[in-house]
Amino acid sequence: MEEVSKFKVASSALDAELARLDPDHDRPREVIATKGLNLKFSDKTVLSGVNMNFERGTITALIGPTGSGKSTFLRTINRMNDRVAGFRHEGDVLLDGESIWGDQQDLLTIRRRVGMLFQRPNPFPMSIRDNVVAGVKAHGIARGKQLDVVAEMRLTEVGLWDAVKDRLGDSPYRLSGGQQQLLCLARALAVGPEVLLLDEPTSALDPISTEAVERMLRAMTPALTLIVVTHNLGQARRISDQTMFFFNGQLVEHGATSQVFQNPREIDTERYVQGLMG
Amino acid sequence: MSMTESLSHGTSWRRVKSVIFRAFTLLALVFVLGPAIWLIVGVVVKAVPHWSWGVLTHVPSGNGGGLENAILGTLVIMVGVLIIAGTTGVLAGVFLSEFTGVNRKGRERGTILRTGIDVLAGFPSIVLGYVGYVALVVGLHWGFSLLAALIILSLMVVPYITKATETALRQVPTSYREGAEALGMRTGYGLRKVVLRTALPGIVTGLLIAESITVGETAPLLYTAGVTNNLPNWHLVHHPIGYLTYYVWTDWNQPLASLHYISYDASLILLVMVLSLLIVSRLVVARSQRHSEAAR
Repeated sequence: MEEVSKFKVASSALDAELARLDPDHDRPREVIATKGLNLKFSDKTVLSGVNMNFERGTITALIGPTGSGKSTFLRTINRMNDRVAGFRHEGDVLLDGESIWGDQQDLLTIRRRVGMLFQRPNPFPMSIRDNVVAGVKAHGIARGKQLDVVAEMRLTEVGLWDAVKDRLGDSPYRLSGGQQQLLCLARALAVGPEVLLLDEPTSALDPISTEAVERMLRAMTPALTLIVVTHNLGQARRISDQTMFFFNGQLVEHGATSQVFQNPREIDTERYVQGLMG
Repeated sequence: MSMTESLSHGTSWRRVKSVIFRAFTLLALVFVLGPAIWLIVGVVVKAVPHWSWGVLTHVPSGNGGGLENAILGTLVIMVGVLIIAGTTGVLAGVFLSEFTGVNRKGRERGTILRTGIDVLAGFPSIVLGYVGYVALVVGLHWGFSLLAALIILSLMVVPYITKATETALRQVPTSYREGAEALGMRTGYGLRKVVLRTALPGIVTGLLIAESITVGETAPLLYTAGVTNNLPNWHLVHHPIGYLTYYVWTDWNQPLASLHYISYDASLILLVMVLSLLIVSRLVVARSQRHSEAAR
């Protein structure tokens, strides 16, 4: 008995010590939070009244029919909508407790901290190596020989290194679609983001590539926080901790993924996750 | 008539139409290529038998001599136009494509600028030449000069460069821009490293057209550059400058065989210049596009 209690004391001390060592320990648990967020294009409201917390190190799936406002929501978080004509927002999005539209915020820094992966792989027209380090170079994070190290590290991280190590100077468009998407993932990871936004990252990929990307995504937590728009309900169930269901410009329901899929509170959610509504 | 007969009739008529259409496209090709080939062969056949390399190293004298002054003059003018019109045209194209944006009603801005550029492209070159003569040669007392020629020629070709640049930039996929934006690249940085690189073939084509026009232009140069048998001398104003097209035109109108040869020589050199320009620009494009989607 004494042994066990001793162990318990030691373990709680260890937990406390580990918590202290966590670089994020004095930051808010919610890396992203939205407060009464309304999004409009000109006079048309595309999303209204979204209050949502995204906890550090979790994966959130955004599901809902086409036109439900989930992609608009996603693109608002790294301010990709700011330059779209007629875009307006009410309410706020907080990154580590600070408004992303605040006067002190630097847009380029936000984009570095909140990365994005798109629906279709979009490598730049430069060599494979240059693609990986494009963001690193732009932010002046590394230069010269360091860039080669960054390229190798990130390509290894996404499991692409062995496939491309002998043709780093080649065009990225000779890679398969899945490999291109992993390359884009490596490029996004290279600038050291805290949050990664993914807009249907596997919808243009075949099942095997999809599995590879999903495996990567799961391996990236808890170091990263992921927010994933997906039309693939199976994918949402497989990879996410929590799920948000959007419908007709409203956040209809959100909660733990198992609850949303097995025990939906709203009838629309139930119809959607059962495949009765497209 | 049975069903099958009417069907086979339809098929054979379709074949006839197809043959006629093909014949017309071929005919159009002959109309386009024929004169060009005839011209090139004509110049080569007339110029090569009398060719002497001395043409490259002598200035005109008496009823013969060479074309050194005109070759160098044309090269200087080409480089000058590339610098003035190239920079202005590419920057204007970037502005029209990237920085005009849309107004509050969601309509594209910059329509007046685009119209202005189209109007400029529509001016007859002789009119621009005369404007240059009145405003620069006489008005500013520059005399026949390199600078007057460069400004007027640049005005002439800048619309082509602007248009080509704008069109090429607009064809760059949105996904490249979004990718650059999402990585937190500055607008200018993403433009330089990602967008302009993709648009380069279109921009180079615009520059190529501009340079070809420059090489072949005569009328506005008569009004602005004047002409001289001396070599170019780096003075921007108060010194006329020679160029090849002048000798093509003038020497052909002389009643002497020796001058006719010079006229053909000048034509041949112009052809070689345009051809080299074409090859160099294709090489530049090929090198810059080795990682492009098209080159896959």
